[in-house]
Amino acid sequence: MKQARKWISHRISAVIVAPLFVWLFFSLISLSTKNYLEAIYFIENLLFRILAIALFFIGFFHAKISLNEIFEDYINNKKIKDVANILALILSIIIPVIILILLIKI
Amino acid sequence: MTDNQNPLSPHLQIYRWHISSLLSITHRISGVANLFSLILMFFWLLFLSFGESSYESFLFIINSFIGKFILIGFTWSMSFHLLSGIRHLIWDFGYGFEIRTANISGIIVIIASLVLTVIFWLLARGLI
Repeated sequence: MKQARKWISHRISAVIVAPLFVWLFFSLISLSTKNYLEAIYFIENLLFRILAIALFFIGFFHAKISLNEIFEDYINNKKIKDVANILALILSIIIPVIILILLIKI
Repeated sequence: MTDNQNPLSPHLQIYRWHISSLLSITHRISGVANLFSLILMFFWLLFLSFGESSYESFLFIINSFIGKFILIGFTWSMSFHLLSGIRHLIWDFGYGFEIRTANISGIIVIIASLVLTVIFWLLARGLI
């Protein structure tokens, strides 16, 4: 049951993350030719902040589940696998929280 | 020497790649690459929050030859993972499992990911 829930969460998060990922990556490439003030003006938009925060939280959640699957398939040693899973969990929490703080602060 | 009847693992030198196995491993590799591009986007916002001079340094790096090469690579990995993910979702609904259909959809994913990368890059840079 737990695995089925994980599988469904993985698919749902993929559907939500895909358009958000394309949008933010597109913004990064198009803003890479613009200056600092134009970039600041772009990210000051409230909608941008909400969508970017959603992307980082859901994106890292999706990545964490995917990494768990990869570790399960390729790492035989249980201790190493557990450490890798904990590191993935920490990464999936720390980066979105930093983004949340940054986007509130800017 | 006695004849050992144990099954053998596929030998790497004679293993014949199929489009399905190639796309399966590439889907995973592109997913990991996408994680790195998400981390790159994190650094983009981080340097932006540090102020103008830090942001200009970041722009200098990503607009260099290597920076552009990495960005184009990430664009392809995003395009590939997106299209391959759609293929997986269609499988989840129970369609496209026939060998011929799976092979054709695999080829479509490879070609479309390259086309999408070019279109995406041209649109983002305002060239079309």
